[in-house]
Amino acid sequence: MTKKHMVTILLILAGIAIILFFGSGALRAFKHMDGHGPFDDGPFDGKPPAANQADVSLIRDWMTVPYIAKMYQVPPDAILKGLEIHEKDDEDKKLSLKQLNEKYYPDQEGVVLAHIQSIIQAFQKQEHPPHFPATPIFTSTATP
Amino acid sequence: MSDIVSSFLLTQVINYGAPLFALTLFLGALGLPLPGSLMVIAVGSFSQQGYFSWTQMAIIGLLSAVAGDAISFSMGNYGKSWVQKKIAASPTWINAQESFQRRAWLAILLTRFLITALAVPTNLIAGGSGYKFQRFMLYDFIGEATWIILYGGLGYAFGSQWEVLSDFISNFGGLVFGVVILALGIWLARNWQEKSTQTKQPSL
Repeated sequence: MTKKHMVTILLILAGIAIILFFGSGALRAFKHMDGHGPFDDGPFDGKPPAANQADVSLIRDWMTVPYIAKMYQVPPDAILKGLEIHEKDDEDKKLSLKQLNEKYYPDQEGVVLAHIQSIIQAFQKQEHPPHFPATPIFTSTATP
Repeated sequence: MSDIVSSFLLTQVINYGAPLFALTLFLGALGLPLPGSLMVIAVGSFSQQGYFSWTQMAIIGLLSAVAGDAISFSMGNYGKSWVQKKIAASPTWINAQESFQRRAWLAILLTRFLITALAVPTNLIAGGSGYKFQRFMLYDFIGEATWIILYGGLGYAFGSQWEVLSDFISNFGGLVFGVVILALGIWLARNWQEKSTQTKQPSL
């Protein structure tokens, strides 16, 4: 068997392997898209914030506090206060939830994300924010 | 690893906006393995949420991707003399070069938004094979504009649900890449079969 034959066979085998791998991924993602369509009205599903319709499962650990605050129409300082982060450090606003977790609560993985979810929900219900740490409501599994 | 890079870049694009977005697309066009399509979809979604200006981000993204492509084309062009010294006389190279020149426009267009994994190799081959720079830039601009408008527009349309769409698009891009590899393998196998039949015929 010559080198050319080897390359041809390798290309065919690699092509089939890539198609199977990404094809199954595309199929899984397509099925997951069912129920998620274009022109959804964001986390509030078209209803006003006061109606408590915010879908907090959309919060990810790469998001920053100001971004979440804008997304859910909650003051950023209310979120930081709810997390019991009282330092006047503007750098904290540039940190992702994962980095905030590592900085302030290194022994409690995922606690910042879970607590922010409960703060947002309490804010939408116009209740007092829960005491830290709150019981996790959602555990984010999806990653970008 | 790619999830860590994606998460890091998403956080930074929220913090630094257009400059970080431009840098990511520029470096991606130079061949660094950065999640360009994911960023375009995400920025489309962030624009829908009112975080960025959609038109500003689209123009900046388009210009930086085109600038990166122009540099990787130039890198291919720079290496042209080396390629010519080594394999210019090879019939396979001449054949491949002619074949590329005929279909280059299609390769340039499709690798901008459909088979993005092959964009940088296409830029290098275009530069190395002596393809006209102005013509390359024209197809590159059309392809990149399609990429930005299509992916960014879908991100805008899906809003906060953009991650579901991004997952589908990245897998679909991989699937198309697999089809291209398989088609290339089948084409080579057919060529090889035809040649072996031709060489056998005179002896019959």
